Amino acid sequence: MNYLLKSAAFLAILALAGCSNLQNDIDVPLPSYSSQLVVECYLEPGKVPSLAVTTSVPYLSSVLPQVPSDVTVTLIMPNGTSVPLAYSPNFKALTDTTGEKFHSHIGRDPLVARPGDVFRLDVRDTKGRHATSTTTYLAPIPIDSVEFKFNDKTGSERKAYFLTNFRDPATPGDCYRLQLHKGDPIPKNLIKSPEVDISLEDRLLNGQNFTVGTSYRFNANDSVTATLYHTEYAFYRFRQSVRDARNANGNPFSQPSAIYGNVEGGVGIFAVLSATRATKVVK
Amino acid sequence: MVFSSSLRYLVLVLVLFGLGPHRSFAQNASRFTLSGTVRGARGETLPGASVAVPQLGTGTAADSVGHFSLTLPAGRHQLVVASIGYQQITRDINLTHSQRLNFSLEEGGNELGEVVVEGAATLQEKLKTTQMGVEHLSVREAKLLPALFGEVDILKTLQLKPGVQSGGEGTSGLFVRGGSADQNLFLVDNAVVYNPNHLFGLFSVFNSDAVQGVDLYKSGFPAQFGGRLSSVVDVKLREGDRQHYVATGGIGLISSRLTYEGPINKGKGSFIVSGRRTYFDIFTRALNRANEGKEDYSPIPDYYFYDMNAKANYTLGDKDQVFFTGYLGRDVFGFSSTGGFNFNFNWGNTIGTLRWNHVFSPRLFLNTSVAVSDYHYSLTNRLDQFSFGLGSNIRDYTARTDAEYTPNDRHLLKAGATVTQHRFGVGRLDANSGDGRVNFGSDVNYYGAEGALYASDNYKATDKLQLEGGLRLTGFRSGSDQYGGLEPRASARYSLNERTSFKANYALMYQYVHLVTNSGATLPTDIWYPSRLSVKPQRSQQVSGGASFLLGQGKYLLTNEVYYKWGQNQVDFKDGAQLFVNPELDAEFIFGKSWAYGNEIYLEKKTGKTTGWIGYTLAWSWRNFQPQRGTTGINNGQDFHPSYDRRHNLTVVLLHQLNPRVNLTASFVFSSGNLTTLPLGRFGVQDIPGSSVGLDPRPVPIYPDRNSYQLIPYHRLDLGVVYKIGSRLNQDLTLSIYNAYNRRNAYFVFFETQKDKISGRTVGFAAKQVSLFPVIPSLTYNFRF
Repeated sequence: MNYLLKSAAFLAILALAGCSNLQNDIDVPLPSYSSQLVVECYLEPGKVPSLAVTTSVPYLSSVLPQVPSDVTVTLIMPNGTSVPLAYSPNFKALTDTTGEKFHSHIGRDPLVARPGDVFRLDVRDTKGRHATSTTTYLAPIPIDSVEFKFNDKTGSERKAYFLTNFRDPATPGDCYRLQLHKGDPIPKNLIKSPEVDISLEDRLLNGQNFTVGTSYRFNANDSVTATLYHTEYAFYRFRQSVRDARNANGNPFSQPSAIYGNVEGGVGIFAVLSATRATKVVK
Repeated sequence: MVFSSSLRYLVLVLVLFGLGPHRSFAQNASRFTLSGTVRGARGETLPGASVAVPQLGTGTAADSVGHFSLTLPAGRHQLVVASIGYQQITRDINLTHSQRLNFSLEEGGNELGEVVVEGAATLQEKLKTTQMGVEHLSVREAKLLPALFGEVDILKTLQLKPGVQSGGEGTSGLFVRGGSADQNLFLVDNAVVYNPNHLFGLFSVFNSDAVQGVDLYKSGFPAQFGGRLSSVVDVKLREGDRQHYVATGGIGLISSRLTYEGPINKGKGSFIVSGRRTYFDIFTRALNRANEGKEDYSPIPDYYFYDMNAKANYTLGDKDQVFFTGYLGRDVFGFSSTGGFNFNFNWGNTIGTLRWNHVFSPRLFLNTSVAVSDYHYSLTNRLDQFSFGLGSNIRDYTARTDAEYTPNDRHLLKAGATVTQHRFGVGRLDANSGDGRVNFGSDVNYYGAEGALYASDNYKATDKLQLEGGLRLTGFRSGSDQYGGLEPRASARYSLNERTSFKANYALMYQYVHLVTNSGATLPTDIWYPSRLSVKPQRSQQVSGGASFLLGQGKYLLTNEVYYKWGQNQVDFKDGAQLFVNPELDAEFIFGKSWAYGNEIYLEKKTGKTTGWIGYTLAWSWRNFQPQRGTTGINNGQDFHPSYDRRHNLTVVLLHQLNPRVNLTASFVFSSGNLTTLPLGRFGVQDIPGSSVGLDPRPVPIYPDRNSYQLIPYHRLDLGVVYKIGSRLNQDLTLSIYNAYNRRNAYFVFFETQKDKISGRTVGFAAKQVSLFPVIPSLTYNFRF
């Protein structure tokens, strides 16, 4: 809620400044910056492993992402087997509008994972930079039910909210991410921008039922797919810190935040996605 | 801390200051005690009024209810009685026995009573007192000075004093000698105010019509004050006119005020009721009505705040007087969307104080009070059958008693006790649905008891040397956790001659309650948290020294003070700390140390048609938070400056009475720019499949050292004119011009992502500076009938 308040106050000030012509460009001499390896890897059971290795850049430098070509990536499987991921960037994803993600390195065989499996990642370049990370595949959490309810309006104002129900296991420290996508649940729709995307933790509701709702935002005949990810705390914290860091960009109501990932020797996140889905047509 | 040994120290200090077998307590044949009360012409008591005998170089100041006691040699004396904002009076007396004498001072100026008249005797008293690092502000001064939107604000006026920094453009937050905003103790008639701000700090909760004056203590804290590290802001409310029924008020750009006061039972008492309300919401509702139904209509939320002050006093006899003070203030924010979403958010303080003043003898006064103080916020969302609520509050019940005893003309003894029961509603959350499927509630509450015993003695060792020593024994208990500490206070003044004095002091302070905030500014949702488990009390010590010089036949007082302050157990929070409804909040704190030092020069002129002051502060503030509790600390454990560390700060304030109808005022501020943290690097995050954020995800900033970038210097000139109208000069028009030369001061800087207008793709990044207020003229009509 503090985040909302800070953001609201920030936007109000920006609006006021904009109305009154109180914003102006300035030159900010920034000191030199040493770039770091940035690793983003989301494994999915049944899919070929891939990841994006880029580098961080000075803030005011050019827009193009920096994709180093001298990076060697190794995925270490739960049984200790090392699987090299080849440098094979799909640069066309950078200009693609379907939602396909960019990767710099990719494996050959689909991933096999069971709950509790631990995976490790080893990333190194020729300049001596070396990043490592470890993640665990968590058991998927079933979605108990999804439901909707229309408001009492008519015409274009008739909208429905959507509820997703699931039960948190008794163990504390579980984190979740829930996405709602509109449209037929075919891959092309599920990789586009979600209608709702929220992160949750069971700090206050450990072992209890979760009911996650939306505002009135769905139309009749919308097909809504709920995807519930059971995530490690590291992934949850990474998202929070990314949000806090973005929010602190000049916002006088926020403190700057460091980025908290699970990549040692670099910046980023390594995770195995553990998802369950449920689809319902609103009508 | 062993309390019994602390008590022994308390006794020891009294003995050291000569209250053991000192020379006779009783008056001897050649000395008598003059006591009484100093009031204004309307019957209001005048705390801090000076009663002096210049020929003897002696004098005293009235206490918080206007009582004074002065022991003098028998014979004829010329008394000078003065108080800020009132006409000084001189009275010849022939002291042949101990006697009571009450004084009534006429307001300086006119019916509106806005002209500041401070006699040379008051500057003389300031020169002679052991107290240093204190600023007294009359509300009359604040009313004359130009103000943002015409809203007179005593906290913003205090920011014009040396050693006091604001949090940012237009805000009321105080940062005193390197301390943070939560380290200030705000008192209104002895009751604590936990959130002194409206509207994210743009306005303070103190309605100028209801305030008599304010004392700001920056160092050398008297022993009766404690509980915060950096400053004490002691606000006294007006008591009301004991002679006439009077209505005063004002109509301004964003708010209006109305005050009614008068006598009770033919002058045996008086009352005052004062209210203020903003009217942003009236304009925004009208705009909403005009735009409703239009395409892309989005209603503007309702926002307003209001204050209600009430005070009454009644004299029960020669020796007893009772006072009641009440305050209620609220900020109200509401929003209803056409989609059926309702959002309500309100916050505010509620305060009540009942005080009894008893005069045992001309030498012994007692003030006893009980007070309740509450701050809360409440936030509710409702959508169809679902509701969600959040809230937090802190409530204090306090009883305190303070005694003043003047055993002889060399000692002024003060002693007292205070006990406070705190209730910390750290977080309340509930979520419900109409069908009962969602029914969740969480409530995290803590209780704490805080107590203090103190004693002090102001001892005139010789005509040149005056010493003040005090001890404050404090303790705090929350659950099974308890802390305690002894807080010594010491001050000394040496008068080289009638025009020069040197002063020094030392104070140790504990703070047992902490504001939970990870924001750069104070927000209404910030909560107070007790010392418990691993959260130890904050502690600070300060030494300061200085010299004061009376110049120009006593018209000017030049003061120079240097200080060094250092603190332990300063609190901050881990990055990404979960501060809402967290029953394990202790784990989110991290602890560090702070230190600050500086020099303050202050030249003030209080007599004549032109008055004002010039203040210059050269200061440094530091903090250090080492790696701890699974974190890298703050700034990787390296020393850093807080954002409000400003090396240079200059203020010039001028008030000039052109003629009985016209007063001209001006204030100029220059300070080093705020420190801020700008990102050095950035990287992109694509996120998981199905979370596409477009081809150009927002960059993720990587921040370097904390507060390593300095904004441009801040400077601003405000101008004001007060033009009195009406045959009795009982109305005025006040014109304020805020930021007269339209300086674009930097409120903050951010990096903007620049997009191609057609493709929507990111093409670059640019630094933007945002300013908050351009030149803002405002006109306020004030009246008194």
